[in-house]
Amino acid sequence: MPDLAIDVHDLKKTYRTPFTRKKVEALRGVTFAVERGHIFGFVGPNGAGKTTTIRTLMGLIRPSAGSATLLGHPLGSRAARARIGFLPESPYFYDYLDVGELCDLAGRLFGLAPAARKKRADELIEKVGLGRARNQSLKKFSKGMLQRAGLAQALMNDPELVVLDEPMSGLDPIGRKEVRDLILELRDHGKTVFFSTHILSDVEAITDRVAIVARGQLQAHGTPAELVSRSLQGVDVVVRLVAGGDPAATEAADAALSAGAVRTRRVGDELSLTLAADADVDAWITRAHAAGGRVLQIAPRHETLEDLFVRQVANADRPAAGPGAP
Amino acid sequence: MTRRIWAIALNTFREAARIRVLYGILVLVLGSNLLALLLGQLSLNEPGRVARDVGLAGISLFGSLTAIFLGVFLLYTEIQRRTIHAIVAKPISRWEFVVGKYLGMVLVLSVLVGVFALAMIAMLTVQGTGVSSGVVKALVLSWFEVLTVAAIAIFFSSFSTPFLSGIFALAMWVIGRLAPDLEAATRLTAPAIRITTKIALEIVPDVHLFAVSGRTLDGSAVSVNGDFVPWSYVALASGHGLGWIVALVALAALLFHRRDFV
Repeated sequence: MPDLAIDVHDLKKTYRTPFTRKKVEALRGVTFAVERGHIFGFVGPNGAGKTTTIRTLMGLIRPSAGSATLLGHPLGSRAARARIGFLPESPYFYDYLDVGELCDLAGRLFGLAPAARKKRADELIEKVGLGRARNQSLKKFSKGMLQRAGLAQALMNDPELVVLDEPMSGLDPIGRKEVRDLILELRDHGKTVFFSTHILSDVEAITDRVAIVARGQLQAHGTPAELVSRSLQGVDVVVRLVAGGDPAATEAADAALSAGAVRTRRVGDELSLTLAADADVDAWITRAHAAGGRVLQIAPRHETLEDLFVRQVANADRPAAGPGAP
Repeated sequence: MTRRIWAIALNTFREAARIRVLYGILVLVLGSNLLALLLGQLSLNEPGRVARDVGLAGISLFGSLTAIFLGVFLLYTEIQRRTIHAIVAKPISRWEFVVGKYLGMVLVLSVLVGVFALAMIAMLTVQGTGVSSGVVKALVLSWFEVLTVAAIAIFFSSFSTPFLSGIFALAMWVIGRLAPDLEAATRLTAPAIRITTKIALEIVPDVHLFAVSGRTLDGSAVSVNGDFVPWSYVALASGHGLGWIVALVALAALLFHRRDFV
């Protein structure tokens, strides 16, 4: 049995709407586990249940049914919360504080001594790139800066488990890369990182394991390599249509080469196609040469996490679909 | 535990200190004291009486209204603005958070009542009337009244919107203040009305205990301008207020414990 940082069993949350008292099932039996020292990506479309799951784990919401442990402690345990760092979704902080005061407040709640609070706050503020904005009140911070301030306050207790709800939200590409690097650095220091996101490229780049959630249920769960099929999905080709500047001949070549292709895109005289996995690529190349085309690139196409995500979400949206449906 | 509660209390104090309305109330109270000084000059050899009555009424009225305002907003805005999300995920119990919020309000209201009291004492000194022990006792009672009203407001705020919490808290304060009069008014009515009123008044904090000047207690007239209550009464009334405060904040913590922060 691996050492688990998070262990969730059949977690359910049902709300009732304020006036009509209609039942809304936000979580419909979510089960997963996160091993210590792993980076775990929790992905899903809007309204899938990601934030509800995270808020339930962090004690903001009481589950309707099911159970979970964090670092071996049951939900709501203060001992566990002392060893966890949390960044809420679109974080809102006291806007009259500056980032140093925010970190100091977090440090006080974690029970840190004044000198330790100051040292840790100074280190983290530099680490998240807010050194220059140290004396500005949070009111003047952009969304990206607030996200960085949120990360700094979440790490004040040097947590064993870091839970980040949409940590890349609102960040520019450089900010996203810095957060990705920070997450990897945390893992390198033996921390467990659990984060939710919409940005699948980030998940593919840094996670050890991924869970896809949709409609309040887990749709898939595993390492990125386990989840995406390694079988050939098609062949991507790029061909330059050389027809001596004759538009009619170029159009004819385009039509001849695009026939039977899964997808086409043309920019100027450059045509990009995806041939079916079972297509006769040699025959197509011969055809391309015969049509006066010059083949620039041929590459096998495998399933991506995005393909899997779209497929799983589409399955979840089907009325009779359940978790793990093909 | 104490450090976490203190952290929340200090933060609440800082938050409240940025509310501009409080400075408006401060100006209003200082203005009413100056007005009392002027009215005192117009009165027939009773400048001290006017100054004391207006000063104490100002503390009670504006202090209690400020307590309701802070009580209904400070807890609610934590949930509405989601600032609470990053806080309750840390190793702090929800009851510690509620107690911290209340203590932060106590700090703010104590500073306000202190400034109001200083303004009144300054006014009495300018008039040459001096500060009697009765005035000090009345100030202590007013302070406890304001703190009790803050506890009523935070209790309603733990489960209701600011608008409704404000109405409920205001109603409780007014009914509590008028409790002896309401009881007297129903003395000659039908038993059902009399008993219902009595039961209703039992569940309302007895804030009338803090405003005794001008009333009759145990057959004797009590006035801050003449014979006032002894210190033993002040201690008893304060203890009674403290009991209500503990009960209301504990209930608020219990209700807050059950809330989902979505």
